Amino acid sequence: MAGGVDVSLIADVLQFIGVFVSFSIAYVAFRGLRQTRSPAMLRLATAFLFLGVGFMVQAVLGLEGVLSVLPALTTTVIAGLVVASALMETAGYFFLAFSHALDVMFSKRLQVAFLLFPVFTLSAAQTTDALSILSFYFILYGVVETFTAYARTRKPDTLLIALGLALLGSGTFVAWLSLMYPVVYVLSLVQIIIKEVGLMILFIPVLSYALGGAKANGPI
Amino acid sequence: MAQYRTQARIIADVLSTARDMNTEGSGVRITTLLRRGNMSYSRMSKLLTELVGSGLLLELNQEKISRYMISERGLQFLAAYQQFEDFAQSFGLRL
Repeated sequence: MAGGVDVSLIADVLQFIGVFVSFSIAYVAFRGLRQTRSPAMLRLATAFLFLGVGFMVQAVLGLEGVLSVLPALTTTVIAGLVVASALMETAGYFFLAFSHALDVMFSKRLQVAFLLFPVFTLSAAQTTDALSILSFYFILYGVVETFTAYARTRKPDTLLIALGLALLGSGTFVAWLSLMYPVVYVLSLVQIIIKEVGLMILFIPVLSYALGGAKANGPI
Repeated sequence: MAQYRTQARIIADVLSTARDMNTEGSGVRITTLLRRGNMSYSRMSKLLTELVGSGLLLELNQEKISRYMISERGLQFLAAYQQFEDFAQSFGLRL
């Protein structure tokens, strides 16, 4: 189907924006880790590194499906890569949620945190479906915590990050719907667009950090 | 509610005190750092040795009393720390 191919191609090209944004945020967090040795920076860098790799594998696989630029891959290898990319994405969202969980733990609100943690994943039958649902709950947890942080700090940057994460979460939810209804091609494009808009909103406050700023002479 | 302080936060607190309390330009005494840093003498002594060794603080010996002054590198660290603290806060996290 020509329309289906076009939608897939657009979706796959858009994935590369996600790759760029994720790696940019990971880079800033790694710089922060190097200069401050903060565990929060390590978790943030790991989260976006995983997300970036996950998006990249998805984008390459998607382009391969449309353009056939790579040597022939067996169905098993492709299925394995699809699961691996979903796993990477879920791991990224896990580290985002994990950062907040640790913050909450230090604030002695761990019990509330566990109530909000995903507990519905057992209903998922397939691995990718399960990972998609897990991703959704992890990102939802991150959104709740970031909005809570905004209520505390009233920083516009925090609000932008919360909005970006909320859009990422919505995109993940639509991605799960697209797995449930694979014949509805537009769902695949919609989930990518929502995710990319979310990532671009995330990138706005990160941009100033990515472009430079204060620098110490190496690690402490 | 008491907040957990990471090692980076503790270092930033000590450096900030060394910068802000150095009004006479002759450095600050360990008692000032202890009072503002809220930590034990032995832990503060060990931390000061590390900070002087890494070039973030300068140790001045005046009349057999050690005084500490923030170095240029320490000021750079504080600026970078502030920047990344803002970055972490944007994600609702603390350094």
